[in-house]
Amino acid sequence: MSKIVHSVLPAIIMAVPWLAIPGAVLWGKKRPGAAKAVYVGCTAATFLLITTMYPRAMDGVVSVQHLVEVAPGINLAFRVDTLGFYFAILLSVIWLLTTVYSLGYIRTRETRYYCFTAINLSFCLGVAFSANMFTLFVFYELMSLFTYPLIIHEETEIARRAGLKYLVYTITAGAVILAALIMQYYYGGTLSFLGHGTLNSETISKPVLLIIFSVYMLGFGVKACIMPLHGWVPDAHPAAPSPTSALLSGVILKVGAFGIIRVLFDVFGIKLLGDLGVALPMLWVASFTIIVASLFAITQNDLKRRLAYSSVAQVSYIILGLFLLSPDGAIGGLLQIAHHAFMKGTLFLCAGIIIHETGKRDIREMNGIGSKLPITMLAFSVAALGMMGTPLTCGFITKWELGLGSIQAHRPYFIAVLLLSALLNAVYFLPIIYIAFFKGDPMDKLLKHETSRTMMVPVIIGAAFVVILGIFVTVPGLPYSLVKIVVKALF
Amino acid sequence: MPLAFAALCPIWGMWRRKACFPWSLLGVAITSFLVWSLIGKVNASKVVAYNVSGWRPPWGIQIRIDYMGLLMACLITGVGLMLLIYSWRYIVSEIKEERIPYYYTLYLLIFTAMLGFSITSDLFNFFVFMEIFSITSYALVAISGERMALRAAFKYLLMGAISSLTVLFAIAFLYSATGSLNMLDISSRLKSTAYLPVASVALILFIAAFAVKSALFPVHVWLPDAHSIAPSPVSALLSALVIKMGVLGIFRILFTVYGHSFSGLSSTWNSIAGVVAWAAALSIILGSVMAIIQRDLKIMIAYSSVSQIGYILLGITLISTRGMAGGLYNIVAHAMGKACLFLVAGIFIYKHGLRRIENLRGIGRTMPVTAGAFALAALSIVGVPPSAGFVAKWYILWGCFQEGQYAFVIVVLLGSLLSAVYCFRVVYYMFFTGAGRPGVGLDEAPFTMLAPTAILSVGTLFFGIFATLLLPSLNNAARVLLLK
Repeated sequence: MSKIVHSVLPAIIMAVPWLAIPGAVLWGKKRPGAAKAVYVGCTAATFLLITTMYPRAMDGVVSVQHLVEVAPGINLAFRVDTLGFYFAILLSVIWLLTTVYSLGYIRTRETRYYCFTAINLSFCLGVAFSANMFTLFVFYELMSLFTYPLIIHEETEIARRAGLKYLVYTITAGAVILAALIMQYYYGGTLSFLGHGTLNSETISKPVLLIIFSVYMLGFGVKACIMPLHGWVPDAHPAAPSPTSALLSGVILKVGAFGIIRVLFDVFGIKLLGDLGVALPMLWVASFTIIVASLFAITQNDLKRRLAYSSVAQVSYIILGLFLLSPDGAIGGLLQIAHHAFMKGTLFLCAGIIIHETGKRDIREMNGIGSKLPITMLAFSVAALGMMGTPLTCGFITKWELGLGSIQAHRPYFIAVLLLSALLNAVYFLPIIYIAFFKGDPMDKLLKHETSRTMMVPVIIGAAFVVILGIFVTVPGLPYSLVKIVVKALF
Repeated sequence: MPLAFAALCPIWGMWRRKACFPWSLLGVAITSFLVWSLIGKVNASKVVAYNVSGWRPPWGIQIRIDYMGLLMACLITGVGLMLLIYSWRYIVSEIKEERIPYYYTLYLLIFTAMLGFSITSDLFNFFVFMEIFSITSYALVAISGERMALRAAFKYLLMGAISSLTVLFAIAFLYSATGSLNMLDISSRLKSTAYLPVASVALILFIAAFAVKSALFPVHVWLPDAHSIAPSPVSALLSALVIKMGVLGIFRILFTVYGHSFSGLSSTWNSIAGVVAWAAALSIILGSVMAIIQRDLKIMIAYSSVSQIGYILLGITLISTRGMAGGLYNIVAHAMGKACLFLVAGIFIYKHGLRRIENLRGIGRTMPVTAGAFALAALSIVGVPPSAGFVAKWYILWGCFQEGQYAFVIVVLLGSLLSAVYCFRVVYYMFFTGAGRPGVGLDEAPFTMLAPTAILSVGTLFFGIFATLLLPSLNNAARVLLLK
């Protein structure tokens, strides 16, 4: 059993982002510099505070904090295990990058943008830190609702329509999760996460367990964009401003996946799921999503839309890895959370720079853009190569672990899915690189102008991470070391 | 007892128009204080009883405050106080000056009658108080004297009067059968099986009558007109408290007078509870659908009340302890949430004369507190965690599972999806449309209107997070009532 310590840190960490609001509201108009400083400072402080929990996470120590008993037996409480820490540190890094980036990118309605981005950071951390399904659900719902202002930030007709679609999907999903939650509570008697499954096949009949499982998957599947529940993703990503798209793809889709992970590990447990026989159908669903979403991605001409479909495919890697129910598969799936966040985050930020500097969204119009924006497109290429699973990038590591996992699970045919997906990734990413670098007019070089430093630096850091995570895999503190601890405790 | 004091208050105000407000405020505040001082007592000894003029129960009139009565009384005084403070500035703009004393008089009367209704244990008193609050609410709807208001009030009067008459008949039936008017006494006398047919007829009459008062589908038709045309604090009062009296009536009859476990009546009782539950389910869905298609903010909020009353009655008639606790909790959640929504609607009318939802574009930028209060209260109406509405829905759902009523699970969830549609539409118009008008800074309502609104909306959040303040007692109350 892991050691448990009481800590007030989770609540403090969650409170820090809120401090950005008074700054943004009071100084937003008169002293934008101060507002920005407070906003970035709060995000950075959140990140630093989370890093202080690192030693505990590496030792597998669990920090718990009880907040309030909402109703008898139903608590708001935090419990930071290694998995929660892993997710929290990841999302705070991505948040920090996009925060710095957004200083240059967001030029209208900054106050609202800063406030809601900060609030969402807090709620996402709440999901990562939650000690039971109820707490997770509370913050999950709040996060879902408060993402809406970010998606419709530009208030164009397209953004409104995408926002509406998002709301319909997400609120319906919320009600579905609520149904699953209450079933779990009614039949299982507890909502707590204990590091192993709490539902018991001896007291609950198999059909009921199957229903609870499917309802949970339907609910969280909307955020984790399992096909055919992905409908909002390709609309919301292009409509949102680019830093928000990066957050959506990098973190918010993963929050859905995180919900599924909790259902898998802390509600049902690996053994029970194996007995229920739901893993194989889920694997097929994930494979279907990977292939079909990649095919859709090929047909898109809007860059951000193509990236969005690619995200749909990539998030299903997580699902695929987890439902292999083998240690290496789980490592691959959990690694994918971080790796994809860096790769897709970088890609969306690059797309943002392209839109910001040239106003172009259509890939066919991007001839020679690599000459105009060489650093941006270099970063883009690095991340795209990562997506294809090229060795020495983090995408390769994920695919390698997933491949190992499928052999371990005696289901080697899923390697074919991985290979096919890599191929399709190449089909939709290589043309962009080709168009950008080799198809332009040589005179374009004269028009070279990179973007401002606040937007450039996060992109470069993101691309650097794509390579670092692919080479220095086992360095302590990087995702692999954390994931290893999580998986070791589970299997 | 506080009743007499409250009833005497307005006379003074009749000839000193300006003094009306402070005087009624004083009355309501003292009453509230007295009611709240009883909380500890009721919690300790379960029931506080007082025999008026010393006659003992079967003969004399008894006032009896059980847990349910206390809950309602606290709610009435708490929300009533907020609404009164809000009225001070608002009412001047909506009704003629010479009618203002009438307004406060009626307000105190309805306040008194509702309190009396919640805590009496005598059926005749029950009827009298019901008549007082019904008649005063017709008058309050009509108080502006406009044509539309008179029409709405007349419609309300027509349905209300029929239902009151029905209650009177039912009481007469029971009296003829048992020879008693005290609820507990009747309850014990009904146990002997001789009165069965009469008692069943009375039960049906009672429930039908109170269904009208609580605006259950399909007898809700008076509500949207009356609630939307009345001045906003009155709408809030009607929606938050007066229709709850109908719920309380159903509750009293089903549980205090008749009770769950009568051998002879149980089939009638169960089928009536079932009918009410289904009517409540229909209310939830149709009320929400009607709310969605409305364009007038207040009518939308009024239809939302129909749907929320559905939740309350569904919870109560599930006949499961959790469901009942959820239903009762929704009384609290809805009273605060809906009062807040109406007050916000009132502020929009007061400041800008806006009633239509599309006209609220961008109003969140100039009135952030008002619009924020609306958003917070709307979250509770929808049932987004952590809000009071969520706790209520959670328990109602739990009750559905306890009783294996899976159809109602879907109704409850669908209902909250539909309510999300109509609530978030308004929030959307307020915050996310309309360009910010440059040069227009903050333009908020006066403090005495803003504060009650904000307090009520924060209350929905407070009771969502600290639900343990109420829930254990509600659970106990439900367990006692259902003998489980």
